[in-house]
Amino acid sequence: MPNIEDYEAMTKISLSEDEKTIVSGYMNMLLDSFKKLEDTDVSGVVPLISVLDVKSPMRDDVAIKTISREELLSNAPEQHDAYFQVPRTVD
Amino acid sequence: MGIFIEDYNVSGADTVALEDSIMQKGKQVTAGSKILDNFVSPFNATVVDRLLDGGFKISGRTVMDEFGLLKLSHDDNNTPSGAVRAVSEGISAYALCNDLFGRYREEAPQYDCCYIHPTYGTVSRYGLIPLASSLDQIGIVCRDLSQGFGLLSHLAGKDPKDGAMFPDSKYCYGKTDEKITLGIPRSVIEKADADTRESIMDFINKFSSTDIDLEYFDLYSQVMYILSSAEISNNLSRYDGIKFGYRASGYTDIDDLYTKTRSEGFGLDAKLTAIMGAVVLSKDHYGPYYEKAMKIRRLIKESINFDTYDVIVLPCKISDDPYENLALYSLAPLAGLPSVSFSYKGYGIQLVAGVKKENLLLSTWEVSMA
Amino acid sequence: MKYETIMGLEVHVELATKSKLFCACSTEFGSDVNENVCPVCAGMPGTSPMVNRKAIELAITAGLLTNSEISPRITFDKKNYFYPDLPAGYQLTQLFAPICKNGWVEIETDAGKKKINLVQIHLEEDAGKLIHDDWMDTTLIDFNRASVPLIEIVTRPDFRSAEEVVAFLEKLRSLLSFADVSDCKMQEGSMRCDINLSVREKGSDKLGTRTEIKNMNSLKAIAAAISYESQRHIDALETGEEVLVQETRRWDDSIGATFSMRGKEDATDYRYCPDPDIMPVFIDDEWIDAVRSNLPETAQDKFIRLTQKLGLPEYDSEIITRSKNLSNIFDETLQYYNNPKEVANWIIVELLSIAKGDNKGEDDVRIDCQKFAKLIELVDGRTINRNVGKKILSLILEEGIDPVEYVEKNKLGMINDTSLISSTIQEVLSENPKALEEYKAGSKKVHGFFVGQIMRKLGGKANPQIINKLLTEALKEI
Repeated sequence: MPNIEDYEAMTKISLSEDEKTIVSGYMNMLLDSFKKLEDTDVSGVVPLISVLDVKSPMRDDVAIKTISREELLSNAPEQHDAYFQVPRTVD
Repeated sequence: MGIFIEDYNVSGADTVALEDSIMQKGKQVTAGSKILDNFVSPFNATVVDRLLDGGFKISGRTVMDEFGLLKLSHDDNNTPSGAVRAVSEGISAYALCNDLFGRYREEAPQYDCCYIHPTYGTVSRYGLIPLASSLDQIGIVCRDLSQGFGLLSHLAGKDPKDGAMFPDSKYCYGKTDEKITLGIPRSVIEKADADTRESIMDFINKFSSTDIDLEYFDLYSQVMYILSSAEISNNLSRYDGIKFGYRASGYTDIDDLYTKTRSEGFGLDAKLTAIMGAVVLSKDHYGPYYEKAMKIRRLIKESINFDTYDVIVLPCKISDDPYENLALYSLAPLAGLPSVSFSYKGYGIQLVAGVKKENLLLSTWEVSMA
Repeated sequence: MKYETIMGLEVHVELATKSKLFCACSTEFGSDVNENVCPVCAGMPGTSPMVNRKAIELAITAGLLTNSEISPRITFDKKNYFYPDLPAGYQLTQLFAPICKNGWVEIETDAGKKKINLVQIHLEEDAGKLIHDDWMDTTLIDFNRASVPLIEIVTRPDFRSAEEVVAFLEKLRSLLSFADVSDCKMQEGSMRCDINLSVREKGSDKLGTRTEIKNMNSLKAIAAAISYESQRHIDALETGEEVLVQETRRWDDSIGATFSMRGKEDATDYRYCPDPDIMPVFIDDEWIDAVRSNLPETAQDKFIRLTQKLGLPEYDSEIITRSKNLSNIFDETLQYYNNPKEVANWIIVELLSIAKGDNKGEDDVRIDCQKFAKLIELVDGRTINRNVGKKILSLILEEGIDPVEYVEKNKLGMINDTSLISSTIQEVLSENPKALEEYKAGSKKVHGFFVGQIMRKLGGKANPQIINKLLTEALKEI
């Protein structure tokens, strides 16, 4: 059973005690169900990332402005002098 | 549960309701999650532009489950979703949604509606708030499949803003005169209740049919859950309280800002999915879970070859356990196939056809309704 | 020396595209804050990455220049971690199918020639820029650089000295900048490097504990950091006072030491996975051949052309081919005035000394080559003398004047009138009897004094060769 705290840290989610009980319950159920995968032999099978069997389209290298800075920043919870702002982050 | 988050108060045969995951320029779009509080979309989803170009009117934005996530707990609350209510109550002629886990496909027939899940890569996902990119597909709630496909013909076709699409610029949906053979996965249908089984048998009798074996069916839910939770977990990482959407208050440092924002902004289903997605992608589990699921996905896709049959018939419910039921709704997204669900003699039936073979679905439906 | 240092590099190079890797935002350096940001590179939901063909092409170019195998089918993957400079919560990079593999680059140091092997070159997107504001105790984010295309060049642990590392980076810079893959400006961050370093006893086949020094952006600092870090490892091995741990370290240039970045990234599980929104990009032989046939001259080819075809001295050729910018100026100027020796001379002697005075490097000098050519032609054709020419060069750089018009307007044309010059010589000789006496007594340096006086009287515009000739004759007669 994976250590839930590790995954909370990885996903930046902190579960309350109640939530933790529910999440571990489901996690147990799910991981248990995943055991069924073990019975299938997949040797030589290439993973399927997307069902589409097409080539990636490619863009020409042309710079185009699609939205204004005002519009971009209008969604920012906090900004300062056209920068997005967060608490001091130590490098 | 109400119908609309925002009701534009228009009516008529050309009205389309949008699930709150479909972005509209200048409108608040939250996909049913607090984490997107106050997010105003800076652009229109491609389907929105195409609706407007086709002369359709947008009737409103419908209430939805958070991001359209899977609810693992059995829900006794029988209120249908906003999109299905909008159509079944005659408020809107159509509704567009992203039905990843089957909620709309299961619900539509119960409320005398139909659902069209188009072939993956035929309808642009640009402007759809994503759940799982390789599985998401915008679909249509409608009253009548022939009308629904009429709407779909306006929406489908290559979009230069979505990199994962077929190159066809247009699709025509119409009846076909081909003789249709149904593929009948008896072992799956047998899991449905007696009344549903009876209705399905009655349906099947109108066609020629052949028994098929859905290999890997008992792994569909697992593969679907592993792949979708991983992709959803990735797609939820962008919600961090920095660029848009909800930001918690009272944080002490950047890590606290992330954690408070995401813990307060996400509901329990999102938290569970984000964590499960991280589990299946983490170093120790990538191979046995994620990579293996991708491999089995290929086996599933290759196992459905439509060589002796044209359309697969499935029930819309086989269990009260949502995780078990998920298997029914996993085939179409896992293999990128089109499907429809509708009510036949009061019971939900789901049909699945080959890639871009929507015409066979429409024809089968029309024959059965005749 | 009992120990040897073993190093491998990860070099990040920003590609010289006009738009970003997955969206059409401009990549221009020095734009206003958050000016080049759109929903895609801001990590907004509902967007889809669209691959920039030019970025793929530049990476193919880098692969060809480093003798790499180019993969026929490439894919992009997500690297998941939270950091405020990363808008989507993941970086798009290439883990499973990188664009180039198994290349090599030949370097030359005092110890001779050596092959440095490359593991791979992969494409990835850059992150935004964080500015830490101590005063407000906040961090400000500019996403202009987010999703600018990078290639990461990963070498095998083939380096044994700082000289080799520096030679490799200089070689890379030359290869990539001459092919316009990148401007490779370390000071602007368009080329930066992580160093993986370990130390072991010579002859041992066991690798020592490895540390990684992150984000180095000057050759001088790289050499200093390697020397410091090797010594730290050796001290630890010898005294056992410090236990080496595998970790990421930061070089502090002002202190001259490396410091542990403990807690950062070391234990992170990046949960790499393929991005299902980006379909595979296929690179066929036709495409590779097209890129190959369009490869511009390398610095090495150019050096050979300059020395062998154009007959320039090796020293001059070396300076010009050290910088893509200088060699561009050289080639373009040559198109307007085909005199390789003079053009090279003016670039190396005059242009670079003015640039140096303005604190500009070889890569930052900018000049209108047509005007530059006209100027060289004016001096070469003896319409103006070299000193006037130097002044005009400054004016071209500062004000963009046209040298021909300027010379005409200010009557700066050189005086070639022998009778005027002769009479001026006579004037100067008669006005300076004392100096004339000294000359007669055998002082040769008085010759120069006379030239100066004559030149002054003629407003600095006289042809110095004619003055010399006539003065020598006049002095002989005395």
